[in-house]
This record gives sequence, structure tokens and C-alpha cells, in this order.
Amino acid sequence: MECDNYLRPWSRRQLLARAAYGLGAAALHSLQASENRAFPNFTPRAKRVIFLFQAGGPSHLDLLDYKPTLKERYDQDIPPSVFGGQRVTGMVAHQDRFPIVPTMYGFRQHGESGRWLSDLLPYTSKIADDICVLNSVHTDAINHDPAITLIQTGSQLPGRPSMGSWIDYGLGSENQNLPAFVVLNSLPSNGMPDQGLLARLWGAGFLPSRYQGVQFRGAGDAVLHLSNPPGITAELRRAQLDGIAALNQRMEQRSGDPEIETRIAQYEMAFRMQTSVPDLVDTSKEPEQVRALYGDDVNKPGSFAANCLLARRLAERNVRFIQLYHRGWDHHGGLTEKLPAMARDVDQASAALVLDLKQRGMLKDTLVIWGGEFGRTPYAQGPVKPTSYGRDHHGRVFSLWMAGGGVKPGHTHGRSDEFGFNVAEGGVHVHDLQATILHLLGIDHQKLTYRFQGRQFRLTDVHGSVVREILT
Amino acid sequence: MRQALTIATFCAAGALFAAPARIDYGRDVRPILSENCFHCHGQDSGKRMANLRLDTAEGARPVLASGKLYQRITSESKALRMPPAASNRSLTPDQIAVLKQWIDEGGGYSKHWAFVPPVKASIPEGENAIDALVRRRLDAEGLKLNRPAAPGAWLRRVSLDLTGLPPTPEEIAVFEKKPGYAAEVDRLLASRRYGERMAMDWLDVARYADTHGFNNDAERSMWRWRDWVIESFNSNQRYDRFLTEQLAGDLLPRPTLDQRIATGFGRNHVINSEGGIIDEEYRVEYVADRVRTLGMSWLGLTLECARCHDHKYDPVTQRDYYRFYAFFNNVPEIGEDGRVSNAVPMIPAPTADQQKKLQDLEASMARLTAKVDAKATSWRWHKKYARLFDAAKPAGATIDVPCAGACVFDGEKPMTPGQGTPISKRGGLTMSAWIEPSPGDRDVPLLSAIDYARNRAATTYGTGIELRLTNGELEFRFGARFPAYSIRVRTEGAGLAPGERHHVALTYEGAAGKNVNRVYAAWVHAYVDGRELPMRVMHDGFPLPDEKSDKGSPTRFRIGWDNSPDGPRFAGRFHGIAFWDRALTGPETAALFESSALPPAVAAKQPSAIETGWLRRAVLRREDPAYKEREAVRGEWFALRREMPTVMVMDELSTPRETHVLLRGGYNTPGEKVEPGVPEHLLGGWPEGAPRNRLGLAQWLTKPDHPTTARVVVNRFWQQIFGQGLVKTSENFGVQGESPSHPELLDWLAREFIDSGWDVKALLKQIVLSGTYRQDSAASKELIARDPENRLLARGPRFRLPAETIRDQALQFAGLLKNREGGPSVRPYQPAGLYTGLVVAADYPGTSYVESKGDDLYRRSLYTWWKRTVPHPTMTVFDAPDREFCIVRRSNTNTPLQALTLLNDPIFVEAARKLAERAMAQEQSSAARLALMFQLASGRAPDDQDREILGRSFERMLAAYKADGKAARAFLAVGASPADSSLPAAELAAYAAVANMILNLDEVITKG
Repeated sequence: MECDNYLRPWSRRQLLARAAYGLGAAALHSLQASENRAFPNFTPRAKRVIFLFQAGGPSHLDLLDYKPTLKERYDQDIPPSVFGGQRVTGMVAHQDRFPIVPTMYGFRQHGESGRWLSDLLPYTSKIADDICVLNSVHTDAINHDPAITLIQTGSQLPGRPSMGSWIDYGLGSENQNLPAFVVLNSLPSNGMPDQGLLARLWGAGFLPSRYQGVQFRGAGDAVLHLSNPPGITAELRRAQLDGIAALNQRMEQRSGDPEIETRIAQYEMAFRMQTSVPDLVDTSKEPEQVRALYGDDVNKPGSFAANCLLARRLAERNVRFIQLYHRGWDHHGGLTEKLPAMARDVDQASAALVLDLKQRGMLKDTLVIWGGEFGRTPYAQGPVKPTSYGRDHHGRVFSLWMAGGGVKPGHTHGRSDEFGFNVAEGGVHVHDLQATILHLLGIDHQKLTYRFQGRQFRLTDVHGSVVREILT
Repeated sequence: MRQALTIATFCAAGALFAAPARIDYGRDVRPILSENCFHCHGQDSGKRMANLRLDTAEGARPVLASGKLYQRITSESKALRMPPAASNRSLTPDQIAVLKQWIDEGGGYSKHWAFVPPVKASIPEGENAIDALVRRRLDAEGLKLNRPAAPGAWLRRVSLDLTGLPPTPEEIAVFEKKPGYAAEVDRLLASRRYGERMAMDWLDVARYADTHGFNNDAERSMWRWRDWVIESFNSNQRYDRFLTEQLAGDLLPRPTLDQRIATGFGRNHVINSEGGIIDEEYRVEYVADRVRTLGMSWLGLTLECARCHDHKYDPVTQRDYYRFYAFFNNVPEIGEDGRVSNAVPMIPAPTADQQKKLQDLEASMARLTAKVDAKATSWRWHKKYARLFDAAKPAGATIDVPCAGACVFDGEKPMTPGQGTPISKRGGLTMSAWIEPSPGDRDVPLLSAIDYARNRAATTYGTGIELRLTNGELEFRFGARFPAYSIRVRTEGAGLAPGERHHVALTYEGAAGKNVNRVYAAWVHAYVDGRELPMRVMHDGFPLPDEKSDKGSPTRFRIGWDNSPDGPRFAGRFHGIAFWDRALTGPETAALFESSALPPAVAAKQPSAIETGWLRRAVLRREDPAYKEREAVRGEWFALRREMPTVMVMDELSTPRETHVLLRGGYNTPGEKVEPGVPEHLLGGWPEGAPRNRLGLAQWLTKPDHPTTARVVVNRFWQQIFGQGLVKTSENFGVQGESPSHPELLDWLAREFIDSGWDVKALLKQIVLSGTYRQDSAASKELIARDPENRLLARGPRFRLPAETIRDQALQFAGLLKNREGGPSVRPYQPAGLYTGLVVAADYPGTSYVESKGDDLYRRSLYTWWKRTVPHPTMTVFDAPDREFCIVRRSNTNTPLQALTLLNDPIFVEAARKLAERAMAQEQSSAARLALMFQLASGRAPDDQDREILGRSFERMLAAYKADGKAARAFLAVGASPADSSLPAAELAAYAAVANMILNLDEVITKG
């Protein structure tokens, strides 16, 4: 049995199930090869994705989307024509007015592109010409759970496969010793993560559960139960596995069940992972100048910086979809106290990842995405002062950036209105973003489907169009 | 190619059938049309192209007769060819050939098989129906039933299937001596473990969990419902009752507590407590979830496809969808709820044990009350009693407004004076007053410091604390957001009548000194005239903020009014108000009352009837043994009531909520108004006289001629046993679902099930005693290649065990399993720090994992605490779902993470050690010990070659552990149970290492 990749060594039984109908067992090998012929549909620009997800809703107005005219409108109400049908959350439902509060942070132009970026992002400023900022992203949801579920699974409600699962399902893995879809969670340095994360964000939904993301943890075993129990050495484990394999082979002969062959192969894969994963997560041998690039936090296991470095190592090993989460961006009140710390947590390492990939020649086929589930309101939540304010959730327009993987460097796509409230130009719905990510991987988002409950489902539901303007 | 693959799978059922001489519309044609044409030429009028529908004979007739359909599907022109290239759909030459033959044969239509009630095929006299119908199919394929499995293999299989646990060596020995198959099945069906096994699958369908899901994912308490399921299966409740009580137990005449608990089925869905969500948006989702669950679990239809538009494939319109929806749209629930505990509506659900104790206590109280009352008629007040009265007002009141005459507050609207009383969730509180309500006081504030002035949608609406008078009862509210995040309790039986003067007191214990992460309604006590009253808990969802944000701030109360813009005012009189910044005890409250009530009563020349009552009670309290005993029993009764678990249930609003079609499914886009109802043309008429509510819906579903219910249910039981249903798509019996592999068998079983009185045990018995089930699962490579999924049933079932069973049987082999039934869920070992970086920051109940102790580490896995956003990894790695929504079949995967779990998860390592200890205690020679371990785990004796492999492995381990005693001891130290220190460590470790191997064997984790 060829285990072409991790976690989805087509169980023999499933292959046979497919092969049986008219194709015959002889067609088994070609069938398997053709798994990978279906996708990509066309030449991919990116081979892998690193999604630096900023959970909680980072304020586009204080980071990526410069709105100088808001200064003149301090404490004025958002005009009704702009406010439109805004669905107001319960957090501000009691407010009798929605006063504008401009950012208190400086914005400056950087690089040849002359990109405006907040002073909170000094390191991102240095890669201003490498990234492409989308200032016109929008989503349907106004609260975390549905919004984060929408951007990660294509639906606000639980039950759909996550983006990484779809991609694993479509493209499979190129590494025999590692999963195709890896998840890394980081805690903010202030220890206040606000919202929870949900296993469904990297779940396989109705896809077979082997496509779910595998969480690599910052503490303890990187993969659950990876280490042998105390008192079982590598040699003893090898002996155990040999015994298990011998007994399983005998059972296979008795029962004729090809599933046992797969199981034997999976035990070998598990054994290989016991070496490959610790090797992967051990970053101690990374050269000092590389570690320095990511900043001091790189020495703290589980930090965003440490995870960014890990992401690069996963990318080097051709892991297909690497999902990072950094939480703590939900700044309803006291934004001005919390946002600088949050930006410090991620700014240097995010930029370092892009630079590190670039200097290794990997940026061209690695897509890096930086952003959250929505942005924040230009109006204040709670009391308004020029240097002290909070902002509520805002999904009608927000910003994120992408780099590498076939995305135009130095480019800016789309525009929000002068309030940073609505899309003014080039709107990118979350489904469009998903269609674009799949497109960069060489996948036609309308063709990556899975039949469930009698219907063909896809990541982009029945929506989505590729944002061609940002493609190289 | 992916698509080609799925289509290949889709056609599988067809391909397995012998090639038909004549085309059958339902079997051969509809699947092709449905997949490729109905999307644009089907029942959804909104999306219909060219005004052509192909899902009905009338619609298709013109294009069939004219030959146009055939022209278009075979057209050379890209522009004309159907289906269009842009649809990503296309017809294969085989499919076109089928359509051609169908058109040539007249293009007949027939009703989809699943919408026609099942009929029983005739079975030759004396033949087992299951085997006869399976054989009918095998004959057509030129195949035969396999030889029967060895008796021991059958026993293992049937024990795992019916109880989720393997047979013990004793059970095997008894059976092998004298194999009595039917008796064995009866024994297993009578086992209490049977109900637990059957509940396992139903918990997936019913999306049972111990947390609410979503962002906050705090704890809920639905285990009383889970235990109801276990009991229902164990007592072999008729399945139509099982369905009815879960769907509508509350609507049955005079519903029992159990019948109300059963309706928890309708409340098992996820509930969102994320601050700031729009209530209605989520309330709508809960109703939609109930419809989806109904569709998957009993109708076998993907109803939810018709939520935003007419169903693309099945004849279910959007209007039909909202008529189903209307049945479930009438629950007095809140969209944003469940932050720290159960969401409303919920009821106290005492366990059987507690019910018994409550009854006993109530009987004692009644007996003692009769005794006390017997003396009452002859009792007379005498001045001599006055010397008994020593009650003094408890010291330290923070506010004390005597109102010696009577304070009338109407119109004046003053506040309590002074600095106010400090209010926090941690600190205690007592509020008390003498009141004399006026006739108009129906629902009025007495003492209020709660904020009703804000917009109701605001997250801060209803923050504060309040005592109200509601229809003669005291109601206490203490909330962060009213009503969802509050405690709201109301007395039962206070009967505070207009014009009567009574003393009322309310105490709140406070969280200080308690190890808790929420506030509990059970900390509130209410007293009228110094005597505690029972209370009904209406909301119990008050979070406890961290200590820093819970500084008690001095609070002044509005007396007789609140700050709502248009709320009613108390129009009666107050005769004194006092507060304490601690909870007075029962005796103190009595003293508080007596200290102000008794002196004037004693002084009165002619005490009123009420005053006489006070005096009498004060005397009895001090002198009468029966009275004292009664009050002590009453105290026990109160204490027990405070311990009762609650469960979320279905309930109906007295004024029904209107249901509208929601355009595009949006909560804020109501369209046409609809009434509850079902698609009668499709699935059969509404039962005569049945009420238009959930109860009527249950009656409709369980009508003997309902086309899908029984089929869906028996198919799922079949799936539980054979690994897949006769209809493989067990969630979808609609036109896009797979056709049954054995339609006659499915119908026979469904019919038989109904005729038997929906007897689940009888159905299972029939299945597991059939020759089909008893077949050996081993087969030739050729047969497996020909029928890899065993759809033809030419061999016995063989597939990996479910997650729960893998763990449970390991515990049983090891002698670790603790078979205690029911109760709150337990927390077995889980990797440390699993929740770190995942759960919400707030310390809600359920956001940290505190490992259980003792026996609870070794309970059956269906009792494992199910946290939806981070489910237990030992379960999920073996394909258990997160239970966020209804699932009727799990994947069955084979991954390296499973290998790592079985090899290294401490529970399996510990089980291996205990299995080794067991073998060492029972046998002397190493060969016998190894053989015993193997046999216990696999259910069969190892043959010579197996023994040789085991022996070699053991020698290898023994040598290693003899050389490294430290390693041996380290290995033996895994797990909470101590290692048997009387056994030599190296040897025990070597056996344990082999046992560790054995627990990983394919045949051990596989039912074969």
C-alpha cells in the first residue's frame, strides 16, 4: 500500500470501494495518481499558504487603512447616509449616538510604493513594498463566532469544512511524514485572549475527518501523544511495532481485509512522525541572525514569533496549509491601551516571516495572509477622548494584507469610504478572498466540491469571484 | 477527477444491481436527472430556467415527446448541449444511453421509493426473512452466504454490538460449552449496559454535549436527558413513544417529569452567549437546528435545503420548510443565553433517588403538620407565653427606615437613605420590609436598584438587583443582563394578599468563601413572616466576574418604583425597611420578624386573626416537639431542593409566536405568514383530530403508514450493526440519497418494526440471530475486491470499533472499568494544557478541565465530559464528532494519530499494565499469561504462530527491563492506579509492554 501522504493514505477499502464500480482493482494505482491530477486545475502560483490569523478583529483604522479626514470629524456623528443599515451589536445598542473617533496613531508613507502605514507597525513598514494590502474586504457577520467561522469555513454556521481541510482534500500533501494542514495557536503576551477558538475552525466538517487540521502545540508533545510513555525507549517501541505488524499481518491473511495493510502502514507513519515532528519543532539550530530577525519572543515557545519561525520550517517541508492564530484583538474599550501591545506581539515576526521566506526564495510560491475576521467601527464604543477610546466590531469594510504566492507586491487593492465605514471601490467579500486563495493554489473554487446530503458543497458556497487585480 | 469519483460512488448502488432489462425510473433515471437537471429544471420555481421542469411527468412530457430532451443532451453544439458546461455537470455516455432507453420505453415517471409506504414482501414459510431477502440478492449475483462465524467470534461481535463491551472469559466459557444463541441475545438485551450502548449512537444524532458551543462554550447540564435515553432503551420503551416524548413530552396530557425531561432532545442544540449578538438572529438558528435535526433523525430528508429557497431536488418547498419550522418556533427562549449554565426554559429535574427522598420528606411534613394542626383548634393565647419571646432584631443593619406609622411612597419616589448598602456578587445581602399591598399591585417593584432605562438590545440592560411583588409572590432579580444573565427566583405560596400586612425578607448568601465560578440561584432564600418559602428558579445564569471587577459599591434602592420608562409603581404601604450587608440566617430572619411583630401583637387588647397566628407560631416554635420536628424536616427538604440538577426542556408560549417564511432564510426578512403543517401530498395526511403542534407532529411521524420514519430508524439500527445502512446515506432518503441495496429487506424490517409495536429489542434480536449476521467476516480477496463495502452482505461485518468502545473495552480487559450508570459527566485523563490557547479568557464553568478522581477516571466513555469546541481527543481521534449539530453516521478512518493514541495515551498504557497484572495473577507460565492477555483482548486463543510472536516480544522486553530497572518502574508508574508492588517490576513491565502491543492490534480494535 502506498501511503502517498500523511493522514490520507486512502484507506485501501475506500480505494477499492471507488475502484470496484467498473474500474476494477487494477485501476487502483492510476486512480490514486489521478487524485492529484484533478487539482490543480491550472498552473498554481502558490504551493502553500501561511495564514497569520488575527482573531478578535484588528482595527483597520488604526493599522492599515489611513483616514486623515476623520481628524476633522472628531466626535461628530456618522452621517445617516453612511450609517445605512448597519447591524448594531448589543454592545453599543444602548448608545444614543455614534461619534467618530479618528486614530490617535501617526501614519507615514513607506517604501517605493509610498504605502501609508500606522506607526504601530514599524517592521511591517519595512516590507511595505513586499505586501499587497486589501482595503475593501467585507463580511456578513457582526460577531466573532459567526465571522471567524465564515472566513475560515465559508459559512457562518458550524458544519462546513475549514479552508485548510478543503485544500488538503483537493491537493493532498507533498510530505510523507507530516500532515498537510497544521494549526499553531499563539497566546497574546498580555495573556488576555478574549474569545475562544473552536476546533471547527480547523475541522473537516462533512469531509472525512482525516482532513482536519493537526494542532501543533507550544507546550508538551507538539502532537498529542507523540512521545513514548516513560520506560519505552525507541528500541523497545521498534520491537513493539514489529510485533504488532507481525500479528496484524497474520490477521490480514486470515480475514482478507485490506484495511489491515493500511493500519500497518499508519503505524509506520506514526513511528516516523516521532522523529520528524520533534526535529521540525526544534528551532534551536536556527542561526542566530535568523532568530534575531523574528525578535526576542522567538525564544518563548508558543509565542506568535516562535510560531512564525515554525511556520517557515513547516513551509520548507512543504506542508500545504499552515494556520496560525493570534488572539486578543477585540478592543471594545481601552483600545489605546491594548492595541500597541498587540501590534508589538505580531509586527516584527510577521515581517520577519516574509523576509525570511524571501531570502530563501520561497516567497514566490508561498502565500502569506495577515488579517482577522472583521475590522472595527470608526465610531467609538463608550466614552470618546482623542487618546482614549474603544471601537465595536465592524464587518462592512476592513483590511488585510497578503504577500508572495503570486500576489502583486507593493500593490493596494480597493478603497473604503472616507469614514472607513463602507466599501468605496473594489469590494472583496470573504468568499472572494477564499476564491482568490484557491485560485493562487491553482484551484478553480467552483470545481473543488464535495457531495454531502445529496448536494455538491464548496468552500465558497454559491458565491465568490477571484480578485484578479491583485494577481501577478 | 474528484467529481468523477463522487459520481462513480453515487452510481455505485446502481452498478451493484444486476443490469436491468427494463428501465426503472426511480432507480435508473431519477438519479441522473436529479444530479444533472433538477437544479435548474426542478421544483424550485425561483431558479427554474426556460419554464421547463423535468421532475414531474407533466412538466417533461412536451420535451420527451418531441425528442427535444434527447437532442439537447446529445447536441454537438456547446451552446445547446445540456447540462451546460458552466454548470460543472455532464452526462456520461452510459447515462445518455439509460435516458434514451427510458424515453424509448415511454418515459414513465414514478413516485420516489421513499415516499411510498413500505410493504412487506412475501417470505417462504419457515424462512428467516432477513436471510431470504439477502439471499435473493446474492442469488442474482451468483454468490452465497459465507460460512457461520465461530461461536466465540459471534459472541464477541454480538456483545460489542448490543452492550458496547466484549464478553468476559466466564461468559465465553459458558457459551462455548453450550451455545444457546437466542438465550445469549436475551441476556445481552437485558443487561444495563445495553441502554448505554444504544444511547451512544443516539447522542450523536441528538447532538448531546456538556457545553453550549460557540465562542464561550460554557457548561450546561443535560445529563438528566442523557440518562433518560439510557433508561428508555433499557426498559425497551416503544420507539414511537421514544420519539413522541422527545418531540412533545411536554404536550402530553399531565406530563410526567420524565416526559418533560425527554423534550431536552429539542434543546440539545448549540446556544450562543457571545456578548452583543442579535437575539433574534440566534433564536432563529435554534429553531432551524430543530428542523434540521428532525429531517435527519426521523424524516431522512435534508429539510434545511429548503430554508432559503425551494428544495432543489426533493419536492419540499420553502413554505413547507417554514411550516415545519412553525412547530418549533413557539419556545419561550432567548437568543443570547447560556453563558454560565442552562438556558431557559429549564426545569428542576431531581433524580429518581432525589424524587424518592423528596416524597419521603413531604410525607413526613404532612404527617407532622397534621399533628401540629390537630392542636391548633384548641390553642388559645395566654399572656404567660409572652415571657418566652426573646427575639431581638439582628444587629448591624446598613439601612433601617422604621416607618413607624406607615410610609406611603406613591408619587414621592424617594430612595433608601444614607450611603446605601454595598452590593457585590461575592458579598451577602439581606433586604427586608413590612409591606401592605394594594389591590392593583400585580407586578411591581418593591426595592429596586436595577437598570431598565436602557435599550433592551443593549448588553447592559437590566444590570442590578431588585425585589418585586408579582401576583402575591416575591420575585428577586440580580443580573448583569436581564433576563438571560441573571438569577431570577420567585416564591411559591407566599400569597401576599392586598390589604394584609406581612413581613418579607430576602437573603443572598454571596460567593465569598465558595469555590465557584458563577453565581447560583440556590443562594437566595425568601421569608414571609419569618418563615422560609420554597422558590421557583426562573433564570440561573448569572456570571461571576473576577474579584477586581466585583468591588461592592454602596447602592441606594428606589422604594416602590424602578427606572423603567413606563413601569408600574407599588401603590401599597411600607411599614419599615431594613438592609444588612450579609445574609441573615433562618433563625435571625425569624428573630427579625418576631422582634417587630410580636410586641404589638402581645400588647394588643384583642389580637387580630393574623396576629394570633403569629403568636401561636412563635409559641409552637419554642415549645412544641412536633412543630420543631416539622421545621427540621422542612429544612432538609429545602436543602435537597437546592441540590436538584436542572435540564433544559421544550415549552410553549401561551400566546403563539407568528411564523413567517423568512426570505433567503434571514431572521430579519419575514415574508408570508404560515401555520404549522406538513407536506401531506408527499409524506401522508395529518392524523385526524391531531393537534397542530409538536404532539400532532409526533403522531403524524409515527402513523403506521408514514413512509419514512420506520425506514429511517431501522436503517440506522442496521448501520449500527453492519457499519452502514441498507441505505448508505442514512441521513438522506430523498431523491439525491442512495437507493437501498436491499429495498425489500428495508421495507420488511420497517413494516415488521411497526407491526411489532415499535419494539427495538425485538428488531435487534431478529437481526443478530439471522444467518446474515452470523456469517464469518473473513473472505477471499476476490470477494472483497468485488464488494469492498460489503453491500451485498456475502460476509459478516468487519470494521473498526467506535471511539467509546475502544476505550471501554480496554478498561474492561484491565479490570479498571467502573460500571456506574448515569449522573453528571466525568473528566478522565486528558493531556495537560489542552485548553490553553483555545478557550475563552473568562473563567466560566467549563473553561477549565479539572480531572476526575477515583472511579470516575474509569467510567464508560459515553459519560466523558463533551466540550464542543475542544472535545476529548481520545474520542475525536477515532472519529467521534464534536456534537455541534446532528450527525447520523460517523467517518471510520485509519490514521497515524490513532496509532499514537493507542500506543501512548496514558489510559491505554495504564490499561495494558492492569491487564498484565491480571494475567500474572491468574496464570503461572509466561506462555499462559501471554495467551490469556491475548485472548482477553481479542476474544480468541492465539495459535502457535501468534504465541511465538508474543513470546519473542516478551523475551525482548524482559531482557530490556531486567537491564534497566528504572525504565521498568517508570513504565509501571503511568496512570492513577498503583502498580502491584508484589510483582517483580521487570517482569510486570515486560508483560505490560506486550499488553500495550495487544491493545493496538487491528483485531482488538475491530469488530470482526
